[in-house]
Amino acid sequence: MSSAPAQTAPPPSIVVIDDDPAMRLSCRKILDKSGYRVETFEDGAGGLDGVERLKPDLIIVDLKMPGISGFEVISRVLETDPAAVLVVITGYATIDTAVEAMKAGAYDFLPKPFSPDELRIIVQRGLERRRLMLEARRQELERELLRRRLVTFVSHQLQTPLAAVHQYLNVLRQLEDDSAGAARRREWYERCLIRVEEMLALIRNWLTLAAIEGQCLAQQRLPVDLNPIMVSVLEECRPLAEPDGITLEVRPAPEPCFCLGDPVCLRVLVENLVSNAVKYNRPGGRVEVAVRPVNGELELSVSDTGLGIPKQYQPFLFDEFFRVRQPGAAGKPGAGLGLAIVKRIVAELGGRIEVSSEPGQGSTFRVRLPAAPSGASAVSSLRVAPATDPPPSCAAPRRETRHAG
Amino acid sequence: MAGSTTVLIIDDDDDFRASVRALLESRGFTVAEAASGQEGLALLTECRPDLILLDVMMECSTEGYGINQAIKWREECRDFRHIPVVMVSSIQESPDQLFPMAGEVDMIRPDFYVTKPLDIPAFLATLEKALERAPHHRSQPG
Repeated sequence: MSSAPAQTAPPPSIVVIDDDPAMRLSCRKILDKSGYRVETFEDGAGGLDGVERLKPDLIIVDLKMPGISGFEVISRVLETDPAAVLVVITGYATIDTAVEAMKAGAYDFLPKPFSPDELRIIVQRGLERRRLMLEARRQELERELLRRRLVTFVSHQLQTPLAAVHQYLNVLRQLEDDSAGAARRREWYERCLIRVEEMLALIRNWLTLAAIEGQCLAQQRLPVDLNPIMVSVLEECRPLAEPDGITLEVRPAPEPCFCLGDPVCLRVLVENLVSNAVKYNRPGGRVEVAVRPVNGELELSVSDTGLGIPKQYQPFLFDEFFRVRQPGAAGKPGAGLGLAIVKRIVAELGGRIEVSSEPGQGSTFRVRLPAAPSGASAVSSLRVAPATDPPPSCAAPRRETRHAG
Repeated sequence: MAGSTTVLIIDDDDDFRASVRALLESRGFTVAEAASGQEGLALLTECRPDLILLDVMMECSTEGYGINQAIKWREECRDFRHIPVVMVSSIQESPDQLFPMAGEVDMIRPDFYVTKPLDIPAFLATLEKALERAPHHRSQPG
Protein backbone atom coordinates (compact mmCIF):
# COMPACT_ATOMS: atom_id res chain seq x y z
CA MET A 1 0.00 0.00 0.00
CA SER A 2 1.41 3.36 -0.96
CA SER A 3 0.80 6.17 1.44
CA ALA A 4 3.58 8.36 0.10
CA PRO A 5 2.64 12.00 0.24
CA ALA A 6 2.54 14.14 -2.89
CA GLN A 7 5.90 14.91 -4.46
CA THR A 8 5.46 18.66 -4.73
CA ALA A 9 4.84 19.62 -1.08
CA PRO A 10 7.37 18.70 1.60
CA PRO A 11 6.39 15.38 3.19
CA PRO A 12 4.18 15.69 6.28
CA SER A 13 6.08 15.65 9.54
CA ILE A 14 5.13 13.44 12.46
CA VAL A 15 6.26 13.53 16.06
CA VAL A 16 6.16 10.32 18.12
CA ILE A 17 6.33 10.61 21.91
CA ASP A 18 6.71 7.29 23.74
CA ASP A 19 8.90 6.09 26.62
CA ASP A 20 9.22 2.62 25.12
CA PRO A 21 12.33 2.52 22.84
CA ALA A 22 10.99 -0.45 20.86
CA MET A 23 7.79 1.42 20.11
CA ARG A 24 9.68 4.55 19.00
CA LEU A 25 11.88 2.46 16.73
CA SER A 26 9.06 0.57 15.07
CA CYS A 27 6.95 3.70 14.55
CA ARG A 28 9.93 5.44 12.98
CA LYS A 29 10.62 2.48 10.69
CA ILE A 30 7.07 2.15 9.46
CA LEU A 31 6.53 5.86 8.93
CA ASP A 32 9.98 6.49 7.41
CA LYS A 33 9.21 3.86 4.84
CA SER A 34 5.99 5.66 3.95
CA GLY A 35 7.96 8.82 3.20
CA TYR A 36 7.07 10.93 6.23
CA ARG A 37 9.52 12.99 8.22
CA VAL A 38 9.56 11.44 11.68
CA GLU A 39 11.04 12.65 14.97
CA THR A 40 10.75 10.64 18.15
CA PHE A 41 10.95 11.72 21.80
CA GLU A 42 11.20 9.60 24.92
CA ASP A 43 9.19 11.74 27.33
CA GLY A 44 6.52 14.40 27.51
CA ALA A 45 8.87 17.32 28.21
CA GLY A 46 11.11 16.53 25.25
CA GLY A 47 8.09 15.87 23.10
CA LEU A 48 6.51 19.23 23.91
CA ASP A 49 9.76 21.00 23.01
CA GLY A 50 9.90 19.03 19.77
CA VAL A 51 6.31 19.91 18.89
CA GLU A 52 6.96 23.57 19.50
CA ARG A 53 10.09 23.49 17.34
CA LEU A 54 8.89 21.25 14.50
CA LYS A 55 5.22 22.22 14.33
CA PRO A 56 4.38 18.73 13.08
CA ASP A 57 1.30 17.79 11.08
CA LEU A 58 0.56 14.87 13.39
CA ILE A 59 1.53 13.89 16.92
CA ILE A 60 1.45 10.30 18.15
CA VAL A 61 1.69 10.16 21.91
CA ASP A 62 1.76 7.38 24.48
CA LEU A 63 -0.75 7.96 27.23
CA LYS A 64 1.21 6.36 30.06
CA MET A 65 4.67 7.84 30.47
CA PRO A 66 6.72 8.81 33.51
CA GLY A 67 6.80 12.54 34.14
CA ILE A 68 4.45 14.55 31.92
CA SER A 69 1.62 12.24 30.93
CA GLY A 70 0.09 11.84 27.53
CA PHE A 71 -3.02 13.65 28.74
CA GLU A 72 -1.00 16.67 29.70
CA VAL A 73 0.77 16.65 26.35
CA ILE A 74 -2.62 16.69 24.61
CA SER A 75 -3.93 19.65 26.56
CA ARG A 76 -0.73 21.68 26.33
CA VAL A 77 -0.35 21.13 22.58
CA LEU A 78 -3.97 22.06 21.90
CA GLU A 79 -3.58 25.17 24.00
CA THR A 80 -1.01 26.57 21.59
CA ASP A 81 -2.41 25.07 18.40
CA PRO A 82 -6.10 24.22 18.43
CA ALA A 83 -5.71 22.74 14.95
CA ALA A 84 -3.15 20.17 16.13
CA VAL A 85 -4.05 16.54 15.49
CA LEU A 86 -3.03 13.99 18.14
CA VAL A 87 -3.34 10.22 18.10
CA VAL A 88 -2.86 8.41 21.40
CA ILE A 89 -1.21 5.04 21.87
CA THR A 90 -2.40 3.15 24.83
CA GLY A 91 -1.11 -0.06 26.32
CA TYR A 92 -4.14 -0.72 28.42
CA ALA A 93 -6.69 -0.28 25.75
CA THR A 94 -9.77 0.06 27.76
CA ILE A 95 -12.53 2.06 26.15
CA ASP A 96 -12.44 4.33 29.19
CA THR A 97 -8.91 5.66 28.71
CA ALA A 98 -9.45 6.10 24.99
CA VAL A 99 -12.67 8.03 25.59
CA GLU A 100 -10.89 10.11 28.21
CA ALA A 101 -8.15 10.99 25.74
CA MET A 102 -10.64 11.87 23.00
CA LYS A 103 -12.51 14.05 25.48
CA ALA A 104 -9.24 15.85 26.17
CA GLY A 105 -9.05 16.61 22.46
CA ALA A 106 -7.18 13.69 20.91
CA TYR A 107 -8.33 12.86 17.41
CA ASP A 108 -8.11 9.06 17.59
CA PHE A 109 -6.44 6.21 19.48
CA LEU A 110 -4.33 3.21 18.65
CA PRO A 111 -4.34 0.24 21.05
CA LYS A 112 -1.09 -1.65 21.54
CA PRO A 113 -0.13 -3.88 19.89
CA PHE A 114 -0.91 -2.64 16.40
CA SER A 115 0.13 -3.72 12.91
CA PRO A 116 2.10 -1.47 10.53
CA ASP A 117 -1.02 -1.13 8.36
CA GLU A 118 -3.12 -0.04 11.31
CA LEU A 119 -0.57 2.66 12.07
CA ARG A 120 -0.42 3.83 8.45
CA ILE A 121 -4.18 4.03 8.12
CA ILE A 122 -4.63 6.01 11.28
CA VAL A 123 -1.77 8.33 10.30
CA GLN A 124 -3.32 8.94 6.90
CA ARG A 125 -6.66 9.74 8.47
CA GLY A 126 -5.02 12.02 11.00
CA LEU A 127 -3.12 13.89 8.31
CA GLU A 128 -6.29 14.34 6.28
CA ARG A 129 -7.91 15.73 9.40
CA ARG A 130 -4.99 18.12 9.84
CA ARG A 131 -5.28 19.27 6.24
CA LEU A 132 -8.96 20.03 6.73
CA MET A 133 -8.31 21.84 10.01
CA LEU A 134 -5.67 24.05 8.41
CA GLU A 135 -7.86 24.70 5.39
CA ALA A 136 -10.73 25.70 7.67
CA ARG A 137 -8.45 27.99 9.62
CA ARG A 138 -7.17 29.59 6.41
CA GLN A 139 -10.70 30.22 5.22
CA GLU A 140 -11.65 31.62 8.59
CA LEU A 141 -8.76 34.08 8.46
CA GLU A 142 -9.65 35.07 4.92
CA ARG A 143 -13.26 35.66 5.89
CA GLU A 144 -12.19 37.73 8.86
CA LEU A 145 -9.90 39.83 6.68
CA LEU A 146 -12.65 40.38 4.12
CA ARG A 147 -15.10 41.26 6.84
CA ARG A 148 -12.76 43.82 8.32
CA ARG A 149 -12.05 45.34 4.93
CA LEU A 150 -15.75 45.47 4.19
CA VAL A 151 -16.43 47.27 7.46
CA THR A 152 -13.79 49.86 6.61
CA PHE A 153 -15.14 50.34 3.08
CA VAL A 154 -18.73 50.51 4.12
CA SER A 155 -18.15 52.92 6.94
CA HIS A 156 -16.16 55.04 4.52
CA GLN A 157 -18.93 54.87 1.90
CA LEU A 158 -21.49 55.92 4.46
CA GLN A 159 -19.43 58.55 6.18
CA THR A 160 -18.07 60.31 3.12
CA PRO A 161 -21.36 61.78 1.86
CA LEU A 162 -22.47 62.62 5.39
CA ALA A 163 -19.18 64.33 6.08
CA ALA A 164 -19.44 66.32 2.84
CA VAL A 165 -22.95 67.51 3.72
CA HIS A 166 -22.01 68.26 7.29
CA GLN A 167 -19.09 70.28 6.13
CA TYR A 168 -21.06 72.28 3.58
CA LEU A 169 -23.51 73.26 6.29
CA ASN A 170 -20.78 73.99 8.77
CA VAL A 171 -18.81 76.18 6.38
CA LEU A 172 -22.01 77.90 5.24
CA ARG A 173 -22.64 78.86 8.84
CA GLN A 174 -19.13 80.28 9.06
CA LEU A 175 -19.50 82.25 5.83
CA GLU A 176 -22.98 83.61 6.60
CA ASP A 177 -22.00 87.26 6.17
CA ASP A 178 -20.18 86.79 2.91
CA SER A 179 -21.86 89.07 0.34
CA ALA A 180 -21.14 86.75 -2.61
CA GLY A 181 -22.63 83.92 -0.60
CA ALA A 182 -26.15 83.63 -2.03
CA ALA A 183 -25.21 81.88 -5.27
CA ARG A 184 -22.82 79.64 -3.45
CA ARG A 185 -25.40 78.82 -0.88
CA ARG A 186 -27.86 77.72 -3.57
CA GLU A 187 -25.22 75.61 -5.29
CA TRP A 188 -24.21 73.95 -2.05
CA TYR A 189 -27.78 73.17 -1.07
CA GLU A 190 -28.10 71.37 -4.39
CA ARG A 191 -24.92 69.44 -3.71
CA CYS A 192 -26.13 68.51 -0.23
CA LEU A 193 -29.35 67.14 -1.69
CA ILE A 194 -27.44 65.11 -4.25
CA ARG A 195 -25.15 63.63 -1.62
CA VAL A 196 -28.04 62.78 0.67
CA GLU A 197 -29.88 61.11 -2.22
CA GLU A 198 -26.72 59.19 -3.02
CA MET A 199 -26.59 57.95 0.50
CA LEU A 200 -30.23 56.94 0.52
CA ALA A 201 -29.64 55.01 -2.69
CA LEU A 202 -26.61 53.33 -1.14
CA ILE A 203 -28.60 52.23 1.87
CA ARG A 204 -31.44 51.03 -0.35
CA ASN A 205 -29.06 49.04 -2.54
CA TRP A 206 -27.37 47.61 0.44
CA LEU A 207 -30.62 46.44 1.93
CA THR A 208 -31.51 44.87 -1.40
CA LEU A 209 -28.21 43.04 -1.41
CA ALA A 210 -28.73 41.86 2.14
CA ALA A 211 -32.25 40.73 1.33
CA ILE A 212 -31.02 38.69 -1.61
CA GLU A 213 -28.21 37.25 0.47
CA GLY A 214 -30.63 36.38 3.24
CA GLN A 215 -32.69 34.67 0.55
CA CYS A 216 -35.60 36.87 1.43
CA LEU A 217 -35.97 38.52 -1.93
CA ALA A 218 -35.07 35.76 -4.31
CA GLN A 219 -37.08 33.05 -2.66
CA GLN A 220 -40.15 33.10 -4.85
CA ARG A 221 -40.26 31.10 -8.04
CA LEU A 222 -43.12 32.34 -10.17
CA PRO A 223 -43.30 32.22 -13.93
CA VAL A 224 -42.53 35.81 -14.88
CA ASP A 225 -42.74 37.27 -18.36
CA LEU A 226 -39.67 39.43 -19.01
CA ASN A 227 -41.30 41.44 -21.83
CA PRO A 228 -43.57 43.67 -19.75
CA ILE A 229 -40.90 44.11 -17.06
CA MET A 230 -38.52 45.37 -19.70
CA VAL A 231 -41.06 47.79 -21.14
CA SER A 232 -42.07 49.25 -17.79
CA VAL A 233 -38.48 49.61 -16.54
CA LEU A 234 -37.65 51.49 -19.71
CA GLU A 235 -40.56 53.85 -19.16
CA GLU A 236 -39.36 54.42 -15.63
CA CYS A 237 -35.82 55.22 -16.80
CA ARG A 238 -36.93 57.66 -19.50
CA PRO A 239 -36.78 60.74 -17.22
CA LEU A 240 -33.20 59.77 -16.37
CA ALA A 241 -32.25 59.58 -20.04
CA GLU A 242 -34.02 62.64 -21.41
CA PRO A 243 -31.78 65.40 -20.03
CA ASP A 244 -28.82 63.93 -21.92
CA GLY A 245 -30.81 63.19 -25.06
CA ILE A 246 -30.29 59.44 -24.69
CA THR A 247 -32.67 57.27 -26.72
CA LEU A 248 -34.10 54.16 -25.08
CA GLU A 249 -35.15 51.33 -27.34
CA VAL A 250 -36.85 48.15 -26.29
CA ARG A 251 -37.08 45.01 -28.39
CA PRO A 252 -39.48 42.61 -26.76
CA ALA A 253 -39.69 39.08 -28.08
CA PRO A 254 -42.79 38.40 -30.24
CA GLU A 255 -44.10 35.91 -27.69
CA PRO A 256 -44.00 35.94 -23.87
CA CYS A 257 -40.62 35.06 -22.35
CA PHE A 258 -41.31 33.31 -19.09
CA CYS A 259 -38.61 32.50 -16.62
CA LEU A 260 -39.02 31.15 -13.12
CA GLY A 261 -38.11 33.76 -10.58
CA ASP A 262 -39.06 36.44 -8.17
CA PRO A 263 -40.81 39.31 -9.95
CA VAL A 264 -39.29 41.96 -7.67
CA CYS A 265 -35.81 40.58 -8.15
CA LEU A 266 -36.17 40.39 -11.89
CA ARG A 267 -37.31 43.96 -11.96
CA VAL A 268 -34.35 45.08 -9.83
CA LEU A 269 -32.08 43.16 -12.20
CA VAL A 270 -33.38 44.92 -15.31
CA GLU A 271 -33.53 48.30 -13.53
CA ASN A 272 -29.90 48.14 -12.47
CA LEU A 273 -28.66 47.20 -15.93
CA VAL A 274 -30.72 49.83 -17.72
CA SER A 275 -29.93 52.63 -15.28
CA ASN A 276 -26.21 51.85 -15.59
CA ALA A 277 -26.51 51.92 -19.38
CA VAL A 278 -28.09 55.38 -19.13
CA LYS A 279 -25.72 56.67 -16.48
CA TYR A 280 -22.53 55.70 -18.26
CA ASN A 281 -23.71 56.70 -21.74
CA ARG A 282 -22.64 59.68 -23.79
CA PRO A 283 -24.97 62.62 -24.48
CA GLY A 284 -27.17 61.74 -27.43
CA GLY A 285 -26.34 58.06 -26.98
CA ARG A 286 -28.58 55.01 -27.23
CA VAL A 287 -29.64 52.16 -24.96
CA GLU A 288 -31.08 48.98 -26.40
CA VAL A 289 -32.83 46.37 -24.31
CA ALA A 290 -33.88 43.09 -25.83
CA VAL A 291 -35.03 39.68 -24.76
CA ARG A 292 -35.15 36.51 -26.83
CA PRO A 293 -35.32 32.77 -26.31
CA VAL A 294 -32.06 30.95 -27.06
CA ASN A 295 -31.78 27.16 -26.77
CA GLY A 296 -34.27 26.75 -23.97
CA GLU A 297 -32.90 29.77 -22.14
CA LEU A 298 -33.81 33.43 -22.18
CA GLU A 299 -31.28 36.03 -23.13
CA LEU A 300 -31.75 39.52 -21.86
CA SER A 301 -29.33 42.00 -23.34
CA VAL A 302 -28.72 45.63 -22.44
CA SER A 303 -26.44 47.60 -24.76
CA ASP A 304 -25.23 51.15 -24.51
CA THR A 305 -23.14 53.49 -26.60
CA GLY A 306 -21.24 54.83 -23.64
CA LEU A 307 -17.75 54.97 -22.20
CA GLY A 308 -17.10 51.25 -22.32
CA ILE A 309 -15.14 49.40 -19.67
CA PRO A 310 -11.37 49.04 -20.02
CA LYS A 311 -10.31 45.38 -20.19
CA GLN A 312 -8.28 45.53 -16.99
CA TYR A 313 -11.36 46.53 -14.97
CA GLN A 314 -13.74 43.95 -16.41
CA PRO A 315 -12.87 41.13 -13.97
CA PHE A 316 -13.80 43.34 -11.00
CA LEU A 317 -16.95 44.77 -12.48
CA PHE A 318 -19.31 42.69 -10.38
CA ASP A 319 -17.45 43.13 -7.09
CA GLU A 320 -19.09 45.04 -4.29
CA PHE A 321 -18.04 48.69 -4.14
CA PHE A 322 -16.01 48.45 -7.31
CA ARG A 323 -16.25 51.48 -9.57
CA VAL A 324 -14.43 52.04 -12.83
CA ARG A 325 -12.18 55.02 -12.49
CA GLN A 326 -11.96 56.80 -15.82
CA PRO A 327 -12.59 60.25 -17.24
CA GLY A 328 -16.30 60.66 -17.79
CA ALA A 329 -17.26 58.22 -15.06
CA ALA A 330 -16.02 60.51 -12.32
CA GLY A 331 -18.76 62.47 -10.61
CA LYS A 332 -21.46 59.96 -11.55
CA PRO A 333 -23.33 59.13 -8.39
CA GLY A 334 -23.15 55.53 -7.29
CA ALA A 335 -21.64 53.30 -4.69
CA GLY A 336 -20.57 50.39 -6.84
CA LEU A 337 -23.31 48.07 -5.65
CA GLY A 338 -25.58 47.90 -8.72
CA LEU A 339 -23.71 45.21 -10.61
CA ALA A 340 -23.00 43.27 -7.42
CA ILE A 341 -26.76 43.11 -6.92
CA VAL A 342 -27.25 42.06 -10.54
CA LYS A 343 -24.72 39.28 -10.19
CA ARG A 344 -26.27 38.04 -6.96
CA ILE A 345 -29.74 37.93 -8.48
CA VAL A 346 -28.55 36.16 -11.63
CA ALA A 347 -26.74 33.55 -9.53
CA GLU A 348 -29.80 33.13 -7.33
CA LEU A 349 -31.93 32.45 -10.39
CA GLY A 350 -29.48 29.90 -11.74
CA GLY A 351 -28.40 32.06 -14.65
CA ARG A 352 -25.19 33.68 -15.79
CA ILE A 353 -24.09 37.07 -16.95
CA GLU A 354 -21.37 38.24 -19.28
CA VAL A 355 -20.20 41.57 -20.51
CA SER A 356 -18.58 42.57 -23.75
CA SER A 357 -17.24 46.05 -23.94
CA GLU A 358 -15.14 48.25 -26.16
CA PRO A 359 -13.77 51.40 -24.55
CA GLY A 360 -15.24 54.41 -26.34
CA GLN A 361 -17.85 52.28 -28.14
CA GLY A 362 -20.07 50.99 -25.37
CA SER A 363 -20.91 47.87 -23.43
CA THR A 364 -23.36 45.01 -23.74
CA PHE A 365 -24.49 42.99 -20.74
CA ARG A 366 -26.05 39.62 -21.57
CA VAL A 367 -27.98 37.72 -18.94
CA ARG A 368 -28.97 34.11 -19.59
CA LEU A 369 -31.77 32.76 -17.44
CA PRO A 370 -33.37 29.34 -17.54
CA ALA A 371 -36.76 29.54 -19.25
CA ALA A 372 -39.79 28.40 -17.31
CA PRO A 373 -41.00 24.96 -18.39
CA SER A 374 -43.85 25.38 -20.87
CA GLY A 375 -47.25 25.14 -19.26
CA ALA A 376 -46.03 27.07 -16.24
CA SER A 377 -46.76 30.31 -17.99
CA ALA A 378 -50.08 31.10 -16.40
CA VAL A 379 -49.15 34.03 -14.17
CA SER A 380 -47.71 37.32 -15.22
CA SER A 381 -45.98 39.31 -12.54
CA LEU A 382 -47.68 42.45 -13.66
CA ARG A 383 -51.14 41.19 -13.00
CA VAL A 384 -52.59 41.11 -9.55
CA ALA A 385 -52.27 37.62 -8.21
CA PRO A 386 -55.61 35.89 -7.68
CA ALA A 387 -56.82 35.97 -4.11
CA THR A 388 -56.48 32.21 -3.83
CA ASP A 389 -52.72 32.42 -4.25
CA PRO A 390 -50.74 31.70 -1.11
CA PRO A 391 -49.30 34.88 0.41
CA PRO A 392 -45.59 35.53 -0.18
CA SER A 393 -43.66 33.45 2.29
CA CYS A 394 -41.37 36.25 3.28
CA ALA A 395 -41.68 39.68 4.77
CA ALA A 396 -39.47 41.42 2.22
CA PRO A 397 -41.10 44.49 0.73
CA ARG A 398 -43.14 43.55 -2.31
CA ARG A 399 -43.84 45.96 -5.04
CA GLU A 400 -46.05 44.13 -7.52
CA THR A 401 -49.11 46.02 -6.45
CA ARG A 402 -47.56 49.24 -7.63
CA HIS A 403 -47.66 47.98 -11.17
CA ALA A 404 -51.05 46.42 -10.98
CA GLY A 405 -53.78 47.49 -13.35
CA MET B 1 -2.34 87.05 -3.88
CA ALA B 2 1.43 87.29 -3.89
CA GLY B 3 2.86 86.30 -0.56
CA SER B 4 -0.21 84.42 0.53
CA THR B 5 -0.06 80.92 1.93
CA THR B 6 -0.89 78.16 -0.54
CA VAL B 7 -2.70 75.01 0.55
CA LEU B 8 -2.89 72.03 -1.80
CA ILE B 9 -5.98 69.91 -1.19
CA ILE B 10 -5.63 66.32 -2.40
CA ASP B 11 -9.02 64.63 -2.05
CA ASP B 12 -11.22 62.64 -4.41
CA ASP B 13 -14.41 64.14 -3.00
CA ASP B 14 -15.39 67.22 -5.07
CA ASP B 15 -17.67 68.51 -2.36
CA PHE B 16 -15.06 68.27 0.36
CA ARG B 17 -12.63 70.24 -1.79
CA ALA B 18 -15.27 72.87 -2.62
CA SER B 19 -16.21 73.60 0.97
CA VAL B 20 -12.64 73.60 2.28
CA ARG B 21 -11.59 75.85 -0.58
CA ALA B 22 -14.30 78.40 0.31
CA LEU B 23 -13.38 78.23 3.97
CA LEU B 24 -9.67 78.68 3.36
CA GLU B 25 -10.12 81.40 0.78
CA SER B 26 -12.27 83.32 3.23
CA ARG B 27 -9.26 83.20 5.56
CA GLY B 28 -6.92 84.57 2.90
CA PHE B 29 -5.26 81.32 1.80
CA THR B 30 -4.58 80.48 -1.82
CA VAL B 31 -5.96 77.05 -2.66
CA ALA B 32 -4.94 74.47 -5.23
CA GLU B 33 -6.88 71.25 -5.75
CA ALA B 34 -6.10 67.74 -6.92
CA ALA B 35 -8.72 64.99 -7.24
CA SER B 36 -6.26 62.11 -6.89
CA GLY B 37 -2.94 61.33 -5.30
CA GLN B 38 -1.11 61.18 -8.62
CA GLU B 39 -2.60 64.50 -9.70
CA GLY B 40 -1.48 65.95 -6.39
CA LEU B 41 2.10 64.78 -6.83
CA ALA B 42 2.15 66.21 -10.33
CA LEU B 43 0.90 69.57 -9.03
CA LEU B 44 3.62 69.97 -6.42
CA THR B 45 6.17 71.57 -8.73
CA GLU B 46 3.65 73.92 -10.26
CA CYS B 47 1.93 75.22 -7.14
CA ARG B 48 4.72 74.87 -4.55
CA PRO B 49 2.29 74.66 -1.62
CA ASP B 50 3.13 75.71 1.93
CA LEU B 51 0.92 72.96 3.26
CA ILE B 52 -0.70 69.83 1.91
CA LEU B 53 -4.12 68.63 3.01
CA LEU B 54 -4.24 64.95 2.09
CA ASP B 55 -7.20 62.58 2.19
CA VAL B 56 -6.46 59.07 3.46
CA MET B 57 -9.14 57.07 1.68
CA MET B 58 -9.17 57.67 -2.02
CA GLU B 59 -10.70 55.18 -4.43
CA CYS B 60 -11.64 52.88 -1.60
CA SER B 61 -8.03 52.34 -0.61
CA THR B 62 -5.71 54.02 1.81
CA GLU B 63 -3.93 55.67 -1.10
CA GLY B 64 -3.29 58.80 0.97
CA TYR B 65 -0.69 57.01 3.08
CA GLY B 66 1.19 56.02 -0.06
CA ILE B 67 1.16 59.60 -1.27
CA ASN B 68 2.37 60.87 2.09
CA GLN B 69 5.17 58.33 1.97
CA ALA B 70 6.05 59.40 -1.58
CA ILE B 71 6.22 63.06 -0.55
CA LYS B 72 8.41 62.29 2.44
CA TRP B 73 10.71 59.64 0.98
CA ARG B 74 10.71 59.56 -2.80
CA GLU B 75 13.82 61.01 -4.42
CA GLU B 76 11.95 63.10 -6.99
CA CYS B 77 9.95 64.69 -4.16
CA ARG B 78 13.01 65.76 -2.18
CA ASP B 79 12.25 69.47 -2.75
CA PHE B 80 8.86 68.98 -1.13
CA ARG B 81 9.52 66.70 1.80
CA HIS B 82 9.74 69.63 4.20
CA ILE B 83 6.13 70.64 3.40
CA PRO B 84 3.89 69.81 6.34
CA VAL B 85 1.18 67.30 5.49
CA VAL B 86 -2.15 67.28 7.29
CA MET B 87 -3.92 64.00 6.65
CA VAL B 88 -7.67 63.89 6.81
CA SER B 89 -10.16 61.07 6.70
CA SER B 90 -13.54 59.97 7.88
CA ILE B 91 -12.19 56.65 9.03
CA GLN B 92 -11.63 56.48 12.71
CA GLU B 93 -8.68 54.10 12.80
CA SER B 94 -5.35 55.71 13.51
CA PRO B 95 -2.52 54.72 11.18
CA ASP B 96 -1.11 52.57 13.97
CA GLN B 97 -4.24 50.45 13.93
CA LEU B 98 -4.34 50.21 10.15
CA PHE B 99 -0.71 49.21 9.84
CA PRO B 100 0.34 47.00 12.70
CA MET B 101 3.99 46.80 11.66
CA ALA B 102 5.95 49.47 13.45
CA GLY B 103 8.51 50.12 10.73
CA GLU B 104 5.80 50.65 8.20
CA VAL B 105 3.96 53.11 10.42
CA ASP B 106 7.06 55.23 10.90
CA MET B 107 7.43 55.55 7.15
CA ILE B 108 3.92 56.80 6.65
CA ARG B 109 3.00 58.44 9.92
CA PRO B 110 1.40 61.75 9.04
CA ASP B 111 2.70 64.99 10.51
CA PHE B 112 -0.85 65.92 11.46
CA TYR B 113 -4.13 64.07 11.37
CA VAL B 114 -7.69 65.44 11.40
CA THR B 115 -11.00 63.68 10.85
CA LYS B 116 -13.96 64.44 8.58
CA PRO B 117 -16.21 66.28 8.99
CA LEU B 118 -13.80 68.95 10.09
CA ASP B 119 -14.21 70.72 13.37
CA ILE B 120 -13.49 74.10 11.81
CA PRO B 121 -11.80 75.94 14.72
CA ALA B 122 -9.72 72.89 15.58
CA PHE B 123 -8.87 72.37 11.91
CA LEU B 124 -7.70 75.98 11.49
CA ALA B 125 -5.63 75.67 14.66
CA THR B 126 -4.00 72.52 13.27
CA LEU B 127 -3.18 74.32 10.01
CA GLU B 128 -1.64 77.15 12.01
CA LYS B 129 0.48 74.70 14.00
CA ALA B 130 1.49 72.83 10.86
CA LEU B 131 2.50 76.04 9.11
CA GLU B 132 4.79 76.98 11.97
CA ARG B 133 6.81 73.97 10.90
CA ALA B 134 7.14 75.05 7.28
CA PRO B 135 10.59 76.57 6.85
CA HIS B 136 9.77 79.01 4.03
CA HIS B 137 6.43 80.01 5.34
CA ARG B 138 5.53 83.67 5.53
CA SER B 139 2.98 84.46 8.15
CA GLN B 140 -0.55 83.96 7.02
CA PRO B 141 -2.48 87.04 5.88
CA GLY B 142 -5.79 88.10 7.37
